[in-house]
Amino acid sequence: MAKKGATQSLNAEPKAKQSVTDRKSKERKGDQKKELGSDGDGDREDKDDAEEEEEEEEIDVDELISDLDEEDEENIAAGTRTRQTIYNKEGLLAALRRFALDTNPKTVPFAFHQSVVSSKRTEESIPSVEDDLQRELAFVNQSLEAARQARTLLRKEGVPFTRPTDYFAETVRSDATMEKVKAKLIEEATAKKAAAEARKQRDLKKFGKQVQVQKQQERAKQKREALDKINLLKRKRQEGGSSALGTHEADDIFDVAVDNELASQSNKSSKKRSAGDHGQPNPKRQKKNAKYGFGGKKRFSKSGDAMSSGDLSGFSAKRMKSGGSATKKVGKAPRPGKSRRKAMAAKR
Amino acid sequence: MAAVYKSLSKSNASKVDKDSEGGNGSVERKNRQRVLILSSRGVTYRHRHLLNDLAAMLPHGRKDVKFDSKSKLYQLNELAELYNCNNVLFFEARKGKDLYMWFSKVPNGPTVKFHAQNLHTMEELHFTGNCLKGSRPILSFDCAFEQEPHLRVIKEIFLHIFGVPQGARKSKPFIDHVMGFSVADGKIWIRNYEIREIEKVKGEGGNEEDGESSKGRKTKGGDKDTDISLVEIGPRFVLTPIVIQEGAFGGPIIYENKRFISPNQVRAELRKAKAGRHNARMEQKRDTLARRRNLGLEDRTKKESNALDTRELFA
Repeated sequence: MAKKGATQSLNAEPKAKQSVTDRKSKERKGDQKKELGSDGDGDREDKDDAEEEEEEEEIDVDELISDLDEEDEENIAAGTRTRQTIYNKEGLLAALRRFALDTNPKTVPFAFHQSVVSSKRTEESIPSVEDDLQRELAFVNQSLEAARQARTLLRKEGVPFTRPTDYFAETVRSDATMEKVKAKLIEEATAKKAAAEARKQRDLKKFGKQVQVQKQQERAKQKREALDKINLLKRKRQEGGSSALGTHEADDIFDVAVDNELASQSNKSSKKRSAGDHGQPNPKRQKKNAKYGFGGKKRFSKSGDAMSSGDLSGFSAKRMKSGGSATKKVGKAPRPGKSRRKAMAAKR
Repeated sequence: MAAVYKSLSKSNASKVDKDSEGGNGSVERKNRQRVLILSSRGVTYRHRHLLNDLAAMLPHGRKDVKFDSKSKLYQLNELAELYNCNNVLFFEARKGKDLYMWFSKVPNGPTVKFHAQNLHTMEELHFTGNCLKGSRPILSFDCAFEQEPHLRVIKEIFLHIFGVPQGARKSKPFIDHVMGFSVADGKIWIRNYEIREIEKVKGEGGNEEDGESSKGRKTKGGDKDTDISLVEIGPRFVLTPIVIQEGAFGGPIIYENKRFISPNQVRAELRKAKAGRHNARMEQKRDTLARRRNLGLEDRTKKESNALDTRELFA
């Protein structure tokens, strides 16, 4: 893995590295060099390029091999091993010249080759190659630019571009495949729709719960207010009644006032709720609430803890010794005790 | 009668051709490309589907049966000559999983060998585009292809093999797809898109649409007011150049990719790393033992009793 890492890191400046190694080999080997691949013909624009890279191209094959062994040992010792690779630029250009088609826009119509070179490097618009979305977007943009450019060029040359709607011919992908593609698209769309519907329903439910809670709070508030009012009235009456009126009369008046108050209250809220609101639910309900969750933490309620594992009420040594389950006990008679066994032996 | 007419018209046509050629001198250059498409033995279904897709896209291609040998590739030259092909696209499968693609100009080179990864064929359902069989593609090259000599060679070969020559026998007259070739991360990424032309609706759009469409008309200068969008057709794959040879399946090597690591090596490293995990664990265990022994935890010797020990305090 280390070696790979080394080569990877060196990829950043392969040219520099190679020229360095080449220079080293040059110094060591002196002058047994032979130019490879530099024909010397037709390198108009690449002349200065070639001069710069002459050092790279001056790699003799057998020297390379012998070099490799020594250098390998050195590099392995130093921990900086790179693979010696060939990059014969002159040879590449010569090969290119030999088979290249003429795509010069001045001499050849665009319809002849239909190739477009993008205006800027695609790699520059890709922040990370691992990011699928952005990478594909960059590729699409490159092709889109090319398609636009090609359309204008082709229209200028009078080449038919758009397919007429009544032109039918065999397509690259079969009808069966396209049918499948369509089915998949439809399925995706319906799934999306269903998901949206479900989400809406869920939201509604959540909202409904909120409304319910709000209503309950409102009711509780109303009740509290009513009780407060009653208490206040009671206190007032008690204070006023004890001083001014007789007890019997006072009670009558007080009761009427309370009755009035209650009547007004009962008009507001439903009778049933006011009757059943006070008091706790029956014990069965309470137990069920504790068990199935009505308030309080529900998680881990059934899992064991220190108390439950310390609880030995369900354990009996007898049953443990008898060998686990009760069914087994039925099947086979237990072994008699020692004294009984002795007695049995004596009988025989 | 028909035969007579045919022969007459043919002779006429040929005469016209000759005339035009003679008249224009050497202006009319013909782009004659034929591609021999074939694979070695041992390809997986994925490789085979990719081969079929490419064959469907290249009307100037000639698909042949699987080639038997993996070492004597120079025999492909004769085979191509037999079929009048001047390009060879050869799929070499190794170990039933790795795919190498050879692109070669046949009589006298060059040859480029690629390692193909991330293959997606047209069968896959997430590609929704479609195009005519045999329509000529627009080839969209990344600008990086112009900047380095080896990429220039590769671009030229792609142009010959993937570009359908004008007037190829089975080609269709309309243009409805783009092939994109991009360079990223030292690899060549190949995509194929359908060109979908969407009519811009004028009546419904209103003011905003109007401004846009007029702009579009200016830039495109076309007769119809349509916008282009691309939909992927497939196949898609990634090629890593490995080696460029000067000849056709032979000759000196003129380019070698330093960054290429063979899949075998990658797998070996992975396996080694996996095996290394056990060794590392064992080593760690040994170290722990040694450390504990040094601290005197492992021996049976009693710890010195402290006056503040629980045992002492509550004895």
